[in-house]
Amino acid sequence: MSEVPERTRGVIALRAESCTSCMLCVRECPDWCIELDSHKETVPPETERGRPRVVAVLDRFAIDYGLCMWCGICVEVCPFDALFWAPTHDHAVPDARQLVHERDVLGLWLADVPGLAEGNVHDGPGVGQDSDPL
Amino acid sequence: MSDEVREVPREAWLTAAQAAYGEGHRFFDVLTAVDLEQDGFELVLRVWDPERRHGLQLRTRCPREEPVLPSVTSVYAGAGWHERATAEMFGLAFDGHDTAHLLLPDRFEGHPLRKDFVLAARVAKPWPGVKEPGESDADLARPRRRPAPPGRPAGWGES
Repeated sequence: MSEVPERTRGVIALRAESCTSCMLCVRECPDWCIELDSHKETVPPETERGRPRVVAVLDRFAIDYGLCMWCGICVEVCPFDALFWAPTHDHAVPDARQLVHERDVLGLWLADVPGLAEGNVHDGPGVGQDSDPL
Repeated sequence: MSDEVREVPREAWLTAAQAAYGEGHRFFDVLTAVDLEQDGFELVLRVWDPERRHGLQLRTRCPREEPVLPSVTSVYAGAGWHERATAEMFGLAFDGHDTAHLLLPDRFEGHPLRKDFVLAARVAKPWPGVKEPGESDADLARPRRRPAPPGRPAGWGES
C-alpha cells in the first residue's frame, strides 16, 4: 500500500463487539448504504436481586461501498465507538455487488485504524471527546 | 486561504463577473446554486486568479417566483455546461444562454436539486432504518407503527 496520511478516509471499520445494534448509523446514513439485522436476547440477572435484561444482539452489519459517499456521518453518530475510519484503500473489484462488505471484512480493517491498538483513537476533527481509551 | 466572497444584486451579476475577470480571475472553477426555499435561490460562481493564487466567490439571489439570472458565458465560456446543469437541476433560466438539458433525459420532469423534489428511490426502495434494534427483515411482517425515512413525504409509498 502506498503512503497516505493517517487521516485518509479509506474505509470504515467495524468493531462489532462495541455495536449495540442501536440503528443510529443506519438511519442517519444519507445513502442508505448500511444494512443491520439483530435479534433480542434475555440476559440473566447479574446480581441476586437484579432483573433479567433484554439486549439486541448483532446478526448482520454490512456496508455497501457502491453506495457510500465517504461522508463519515455514521462514524460521527455512533455513540459506542464501533465505527472508525481506516486509511486502507485500493478496494476496486470487478463486480459492484462485491462492494458490499460484511462484518467479517469490516472487522479486519480495524487492524489498520491508526492508534486503535494503543487506545488512542480520534473520530475526526471536533469530536475529541470520543477519543477515550478502549 | 479561504475565498473572498462578494454578494451582488442580480442586475450586477454579469458586470461583477466581468470585473472579476479583469482583476485576473481568469480561471473558471464552478457555477452552481443553492435552494434557499422561501428565500429563493442563491447562485454561486467561483473563479481563481492563478497568478495571485486568489479564490473569489460571487453570490447573488433570485426569487423563487422569477428564477431568471444573467448568463456569464460571455466572460467565462466554461460556465456554459455549469449553467445548463444548474438550469435543469434547480429550474433556473439564464438570460442569453440556451440551457438545453445537459445531464437529464429530454423528457425528464422536475428539478432534482430543488428541496421539494421527491427522490423516487426514497419511495421505491425499502429503508434499512425501518428496523428497530433487535429486529431483522423477518420481523418487518409484524404490524407496528414504523418511522418514515427522511425525505419521504407523508402518504408516499404506503400501501
